[in-house]
Amino acid sequence: MKSAAQNPFDSPSDPGASSDSSAFEETLRLIARLPAPEGIEERVQSRLRTGSLTTSGKAASCPAVSSKARILHWPKAQQLESAWARMAVAAAIVFVVAGGGWCIYSRIQPVQPQVAVALPRVGARGGFSSAGAMRTPQTLNGPLVAPAAVVVAPQKVTPAVNPAKQARRAQFHRGKPASTGATAPAKPDTPAKSAAAQPVAPVGR
Amino acid sequence: MSAGQAVFSGWMEIADKAEFGEAACQYADEAALAGLVSQYTGTLYRVAYSVLRNSADAEDAVQEAFLRVLRHRETLHEVRDQRVWLIRIVWNVVLDRKRRAKTRPETDDVAELARVLPAAGLSAEERAAAAQHHAHVLGCVEQLPAKERQVLLLSAFEELNSVEIAAVLGITESSVRSRLFRARNLMAGLLNHARSLR
Repeated sequence: MKSAAQNPFDSPSDPGASSDSSAFEETLRLIARLPAPEGIEERVQSRLRTGSLTTSGKAASCPAVSSKARILHWPKAQQLESAWARMAVAAAIVFVVAGGGWCIYSRIQPVQPQVAVALPRVGARGGFSSAGAMRTPQTLNGPLVAPAAVVVAPQKVTPAVNPAKQARRAQFHRGKPASTGATAPAKPDTPAKSAAAQPVAPVGR
Repeated sequence: MSAGQAVFSGWMEIADKAEFGEAACQYADEAALAGLVSQYTGTLYRVAYSVLRNSADAEDAVQEAFLRVLRHRETLHEVRDQRVWLIRIVWNVVLDRKRRAKTRPETDDVAELARVLPAAGLSAEERAAAAQHHAHVLGCVEQLPAKERQVLLLSAFEELNSVEIAAVLGITESSVRSRLFRARNLMAGLLNHARSLR
């Protein structure tokens, strides 16, 4: 039973309406204090038992969920009453979906063509290319190797002999008419003949 | 025993344990519900009668309210104030019934009130006059706007303070006080008008 201070019905707000309010207050309070009819609790209990049997009977009549035939017991669906639990589950679902989509997207990305990097061509004057080698700056002066000295044997230089002159010499020495034209090259004189032929003064001077 | 048989037997054990747990929970829920019925049936009947003004309809409304509680018995342990929670359920039930039912004539109220009102030390004529007076007052209450009428009816119950009335109606306590103030002024005007017409 609540106190008078807490009862909004007892707090007179308007003195002029107090007499009128007492009239309907009395009526309403009389209604509010009416006793419940006899046996109402038993009737409600019996109705509830009938209602509970009805709900459980439907489950028992179904062969799929009968206890004897049931092999696997599926866990009862967890009712997420808490708003935080529902939000956490929703966030987890969003993360799973987004993560799966990102994984699929990353795998089916087309392979980008490799960009060929054109290396600078080193100017080769010798004919051989650098084969893609990077030119490294020369930081140290390497040892200088002097070219190897080549010994060349002096060659006997034979002056150029006029064949006409040679033919006349041969005629002078042998007495034969000099024949113009192609003549066989004069055989080199033997040292004795050449030595004998030397003091002869040149004819025709 | 093969591995498959071991797993199979494990599942059967789980099923048996789960069935036992379910039965235990169901028994506990039914026991809790029976306690609520024995404790709050009278209060719920009076709340239903204040709106429906018929004994049979009020009893049906109480049974309907407890059937709704039976369907959601798993949430019984989560309710802090079960009395206010039950009153809110029966309040919604009677409002739905009243919305569907036709307008009751005042003569039905007179007959009903004459039957249910206590008749200690009153003659038959006095009882009839009192019933008629009360029926007239209830008629004036029915003329009030719905929001003010609901607050006025609930405020007549000594078991409910303004905070609990606000919880039943789903409004704030300040709204309860303001609506009650308006309801009292409107009732005073209606009764004065009726008195002037006589």
